[in-house]
Amino acid sequence: MKNSGRKGKSITLRQREERLAWRLIAPTAIIVLGLVLFPAIFNVWISFHKVNLGALRDVFSAPFNGLANYKNVLNDFSFKFQNFQNMGVVVTSIIYSLASTILTVLLGLGAALLLNRPFKGRGLTRAVFLFPYVAPIVSVAFVWRWILDPRQSGVMNDVLMKLGVIDMPQAYLSTRGLALLLVIIFEAWRYFPFAMLMILARLQAIDDALYEAAEVDGANTWQKFMHITIPELRYVLGATFLLRLLWTFNKFDDIFLLTGGGFGTKVLPILTYEFSFKTFNFGKGAAAAMLQLVLVLAFMLVYLKFVMKEED
Amino acid sequence: MTNMNTQKKQTIFDYLAAKLSLKQFIFWIVLIFFLVGILFPFYWMVSSSFKTYAEIGGRSPVYVPSELRLDAYRELFDPAHPSYQNFGRNIRNSVLVSVPTALIAVILSILGAYAIARFKFKGRDALLNGVLLIYLFPGVLLIIPLFAMLSHFASMFGFEVQDNLVVLVITYLSQTLPVALYMLTNYFRTIPDEIEQAALIDGCSHMRVITKITIPLSVPALVSVFIYTFMIAWNEFLYAFIFLNSRNLFTMPIQINTIFNDPSPRPHVVMAASTIMTLPIIILFLSLEKFLEKGLVAGGVKG
Repeated sequence: MKNSGRKGKSITLRQREERLAWRLIAPTAIIVLGLVLFPAIFNVWISFHKVNLGALRDVFSAPFNGLANYKNVLNDFSFKFQNFQNMGVVVTSIIYSLASTILTVLLGLGAALLLNRPFKGRGLTRAVFLFPYVAPIVSVAFVWRWILDPRQSGVMNDVLMKLGVIDMPQAYLSTRGLALLLVIIFEAWRYFPFAMLMILARLQAIDDALYEAAEVDGANTWQKFMHITIPELRYVLGATFLLRLLWTFNKFDDIFLLTGGGFGTKVLPILTYEFSFKTFNFGKGAAAAMLQLVLVLAFMLVYLKFVMKEED
Repeated sequence: MTNMNTQKKQTIFDYLAAKLSLKQFIFWIVLIFFLVGILFPFYWMVSSSFKTYAEIGGRSPVYVPSELRLDAYRELFDPAHPSYQNFGRNIRNSVLVSVPTALIAVILSILGAYAIARFKFKGRDALLNGVLLIYLFPGVLLIIPLFAMLSHFASMFGFEVQDNLVVLVITYLSQTLPVALYMLTNYFRTIPDEIEQAALIDGCSHMRVITKITIPLSVPALVSVFIYTFMIAWNEFLYAFIFLNSRNLFTMPIQINTIFNDPSPRPHVVMAASTIMTLPIIILFLSLEKFLEKGLVAGGVKG
């Protein structure tokens, strides 16, 4: 009798705690479910319906459209690969995100190795190294555009002409090829601090005894780097690479502010934006966004299955 | 004379050679390369903001402004200026959006993170993993359904979707809450819960435990989450660009974009406005760097 009473009480206590937990988390859960999860699912719905500006008043009764939106996206002239002058958004997106992620991780690794050595003023230097990453994207993108100004008074033009590298002022961000390269370099400049922080945290956790043992065995700096540092960093390098690649692939602001998606720099997020907010074909935009998500998920599965597994 | 000169050069060279090994030399060169690459754009932003229109539009760039001219700032703030931008209201709008976003995100995520860190309940792990998944969602993917959904509800309940700062704060919460919740949950898990347990046994309610024990113990983490979410809202471009049409309600990034795309280019004004937007972030960051660095890593690394 006594026993069962206690048992009943403990169940209600547990239930009470559970109820309290849900009450505490409810506001967050409602916002996240309502403004992230539901829209994400709703996006699938939109991609199969004809949704234009007029339909927005009563979205839920927009007419079913089958696969028309997807066909429209796949047949869009800016989507498909045509030639190396017009690579189409898919190829451009892949080149852009792969190249800038590799460059970001390499610069981050370099910066982390640099800051892993003790020197006077290291704390401040470390903080300064994070500036590109924390500064507002609008400010840094426009400073870059101002530095790369096509007029003779642009700094880049002035410096390169004085050095004799170029004879005429160049329109860097409106030249095919060059624009893509510069956008890639901008990404690496802006996001290497993130890679640096991740790598630095891991570097500082490497046991000094490993290096000491290697020194006793007569290893030089390069050998220590290749046989101790790199293996120890493998996991963090892989994770940073994956995270940055996904984030870069999904990035809209940077390219939009630098080139507006022109001159061979149009990537999937820009195309999605143009479909939905320039031509107000939300169904087509949603379909483009879905294709982007499918590419992201496919890449992630392959990466996690083959690359990260090998590292275990 | 020449002899003396070479002698002197040699001694300087000897001094450097003695002081710097090749390794150190390379180290300093690379460090300077990084510092110049990072700092030059910021120098260019601030120095351009103090140039005159003549200095900006000349044949060759002016590397150091002749004096600190406030022409650009006058265009931003002086009503008497012919192309007065009224940038003050844009600063106000940015503050009106970022501070509530950060405050609400911190308050809600304290409650949520406490629940996840301290209670076992069904769906807890699913919730946390779901939050992590949001990291992978493209912002562009969410903006179409969000826009469509909010427009639908707006015509249903009779409010404005566009040019409504409250709507903007709500969409920012959807971007910042997951980050805040994740960071705080990880932090709360590192605080030993003995003190909380003792207070609960003494008959304190959970709400009292949160306000009297958990919050005071996690001030550094709360500050870092506040600044982090504040920065996200302060820097945000895409959502504000879509949801705001009226110049009166533009946040700073949108106004700067507008000035930049003006038919008559005035880079010094763009740089002045950018300086104003960047400075508080850099100052906040430098003064709280230790907390924030941990937060930046925690926002990216699982566990």
